Amino acid sequence: MAERTGDVVVFEESSRSNEAFFESLIEQYSGDIALLANRLLGWPGEVEDITQDVFLAAFIGFKKFRHDCDIKSWLFTITINKCRTFRYKQLFHRRKIIKILDAESHPAADNKMLDDETFHKVRQAIKALPAKYREAVVLRYLQELEIEEVSRILGISVNTLHVRLSRARERLKNELKDIIS
Amino acid sequence: MNENKLKNLLCNADHDAGKPCPVKVDISAITRRAQRRRIYKIAYPAAAAAVLIFGISFWSLFCKNAEPVKEPIQLANNIEIKIKQLHESTDNVLNLIQEIRKQEQGQKRLNELEAELAAIPDPIKQVNEELDKTAFTLVYAADKMYKELNLTDSAVETYKRVIKLFPDNQWAEVARERLEEIKNRRNNNDSSKGESKWQQQNTLS
Repeated sequence: MAERTGDVVVFEESSRSNEAFFESLIEQYSGDIALLANRLLGWPGEVEDITQDVFLAAFIGFKKFRHDCDIKSWLFTITINKCRTFRYKQLFHRRKIIKILDAESHPAADNKMLDDETFHKVRQAIKALPAKYREAVVLRYLQELEIEEVSRILGISVNTLHVRLSRARERLKNELKDIIS
Repeated sequence: MNENKLKNLLCNADHDAGKPCPVKVDISAITRRAQRRRIYKIAYPAAAAAVLIFGISFWSLFCKNAEPVKEPIQLANNIEIKIKQLHESTDNVLNLIQEIRKQEQGQKRLNELEAELAAIPDPIKQVNEELDKTAFTLVYAADKMYKELNLTDSAVETYKRVIKLFPDNQWAEVARERLEEIKNRRNNNDSSKGESKWQQQNTLS
């Protein structure tokens, strides 16, 4: 079992009033969770539903929290699970995805059009990765978490994480050949 | 491109996408959401159960209207009659099956007998073969007497016997040829003897 972290102490201090503690939790982490969900879902922009779902799940399941990691990692794990469920549901609502893609496929007509197009391609490449690679890439490179933390959040070993990252990099290199060259 | 460059590219692309819309999450909204879910959790199964109960009751009502319940005794009589009918039909089917089985057995026995009969050799053919052999033996013996032992008379007798005993046999035909040959030969011998006597007389005279 991992060591108890500072968050747990905060929780224990705040456990007298759960709501107050949760409000502080929301204030502290809602931005990070929204950002992570935004990245995992391919930058759709609107991630309020997911964020609310995450905190709802945390609110309901807090009794089951084993304190073997910090609350941020736990919330990130919930976020990843919620995003997976969301994407799975989206398979049955292709229209929504098409709408999102359409909305994204109109780059702004300014001087940075070329850059925008390049970055759009990069984002599309990340979005096109299989879920297990995308999650690893987002957590490691965009959220800039430590390898151990990412492996804990994803529930995989460090070696497996390295393999996934390596394969994800290969795929991205193949996808972004034009930009890289 | 190394890992850092790729990371920078990804970060830039992420930065370019901008931050998500500001999220308005508060404890009251979450509580409301939880309550709503709880209601859904109860409401969906309850609605499904209600629909099911309504459907079953409607169906049973419809069935009652369609088929009024008969008197129990009449119903029992009907069932008894139906059971008897079923018994009869079952007996008929059983009889039919037994008949078919008997026919199948008879057919099987017949096939076996036919096979056995086919295995028995034809006696007439055998007798003919034996006759053929005998005729051949006689002709062979006669040939030996005639050609090797120079017993022409005995050979002629044997050939004649073959012709007499087996007139339609192929060896009788051979015997006839041989007799013809012997006859021709004797005639030739007689004529050559006559000529030699005439020549002797001419030379003497």
